[in-house]
Amino acid sequence: MLEVANVSVRYGSFAAIRDVTFSVKRGEIAVLLGANGAGKSTLFRTISGLHKPVQGEIRLNGERIDSLPPDRIVGRGVVQCAEGRKLFSRMSVYENLLMGAYVHRKDKDGIRRSLEYVYELFPILREKRNEPAGSLSGGQQQMLAIGRALMSRPAVLLLDEPSVGLAPLIVEQMFATIKQINQEGTTILLAEQNAHAALSIAHHGYVFENGTIVASGTAEELLANDDVRKAYIGG
Amino acid sequence: MELFIQQLLNGLTVGSVYSLVALGLTLVYGILHIPNFAHGALYMMGGYVTLTAMTKAGLPYGLAVVVSMAAVGMLGVLMERLVFYPLRDAPPLHDKIAAIGILLFLEAFAQFVWGADYQTMPTPYGDVVSIFGLTLTVQRILIIASAVIIMILLYLFLKKTFIGASIIAMAQNREGANLVGINTNKVAMLTFFLSGSLAALAASLASPINLVFPGMGHLVILKAFVIIILGGMGSIPGAIVGGYILGFSESLGATYVSNDYKDIIAFAILVIILTVKPNGLFAKEGR
Repeated sequence: MLEVANVSVRYGSFAAIRDVTFSVKRGEIAVLLGANGAGKSTLFRTISGLHKPVQGEIRLNGERIDSLPPDRIVGRGVVQCAEGRKLFSRMSVYENLLMGAYVHRKDKDGIRRSLEYVYELFPILREKRNEPAGSLSGGQQQMLAIGRALMSRPAVLLLDEPSVGLAPLIVEQMFATIKQINQEGTTILLAEQNAHAALSIAHHGYVFENGTIVASGTAEELLANDDVRKAYIGG
Repeated sequence: MELFIQQLLNGLTVGSVYSLVALGLTLVYGILHIPNFAHGALYMMGGYVTLTAMTKAGLPYGLAVVVSMAAVGMLGVLMERLVFYPLRDAPPLHDKIAAIGILLFLEAFAQFVWGADYQTMPTPYGDVVSIFGLTLTVQRILIIASAVIIMILLYLFLKKTFIGASIIAMAQNREGANLVGINTNKVAMLTFFLSGSLAALAASLASPINLVFPGMGHLVILKAFVIIILGGMGSIPGAIVGGYILGFSESLGATYVSNDYKDIIAFAILVIILTVKPNGLFAKEGR
């Protein structure tokens, strides 16, 4: 469904991503594993159109999206919940969610349904709907960021490090919710350092190092791979 | 007491004009993240376009104001496209220098086209009316009423419509706005349009009381800076409240202290408020 083919990205003379190729199939969870600075966020920013690749193609259902501006890419259904959350911190939770539905702004009924879906997924957001987003805890902000991304009814949801900075218990809930979102029909591409938790819900995984993919396979294969275990899981 | 109320009304008039100018400045601050020094030139252009539309094209005052708002709004958009958009990835200093460049260019342009003379703008609302023993011109009532109506409409637009809210969203998190599918280019153009229109409206309302001349924007823009610093950079309620605080203090200060010190008051207030609340009255946390 989402294909990244031979993509390279540069920051000036620094090659942040070198010749990366992978794909995400409809209905699955794919995970990009890698340490900080491996290039996962750069790759996500490139898929979302915030960076232009110097070579390669990014395709959604066979159509190229790598030359589109970020807002059109969201319109096509590739939606990112970015690292650092990028919330509108002085808007209320409700207003943040509404802005998430910006590309569907003419479809009032659809917005109401999406809102109900997000509130059911994260009941705390309904409770805090009138609070400014900036006043929420880290975990709640992450829920809001995912909720806001879901409001645009993504075909492919890109989640960049949803577990970063969260307490272990919240991380567990977060992964359970991500799995639920996937089972309800959203294809997911997840970037994570938390390899064990990510692979436990993913179908396929790609290991990212220094801007390129060094290993790939099904989640079971990667969990059984000694190099991967040593580098990312510990033991 | 009567003098006091009379001065309050004056403050309301002056404050309305200041608030309109400061609103445009604060909206654009959200996009550029620098104060747009050329905003005073937009104000000045607004005065001249209205005056020209009345004297040369023979349009009635009301229609001339609308024409001026549209024309200066487009000038704002042009400014964004030709100058600030190409500089979007440059360091903020470049924006500041460019803004000063636009300011100088527009002032020289006005002087070239309209001359350096002070010109009066005729108004059909020059009549003096008397309400509850207070005398004031209809023009002053018009200033207060239109400013309040425009501010309410602007508030509803920003708060209740998706397009309006996208301006606020972009000011709070540009990338976040991009990632929910907001076309940040269009939002930037819309914001500059609104900013120019508000400046043109303010100038057109104030000109029949003041005068039209190439330097008419200088003091107004300096005071608008004071207002948005006072109200908190980028804050919309701050721009409105700040505008009226300044208007009241000026008109009361002119009466009870000295008319000569009227223009110093703004800057004295700035010093006091920044000493007590360094981030402004409506400071936003966590930038």
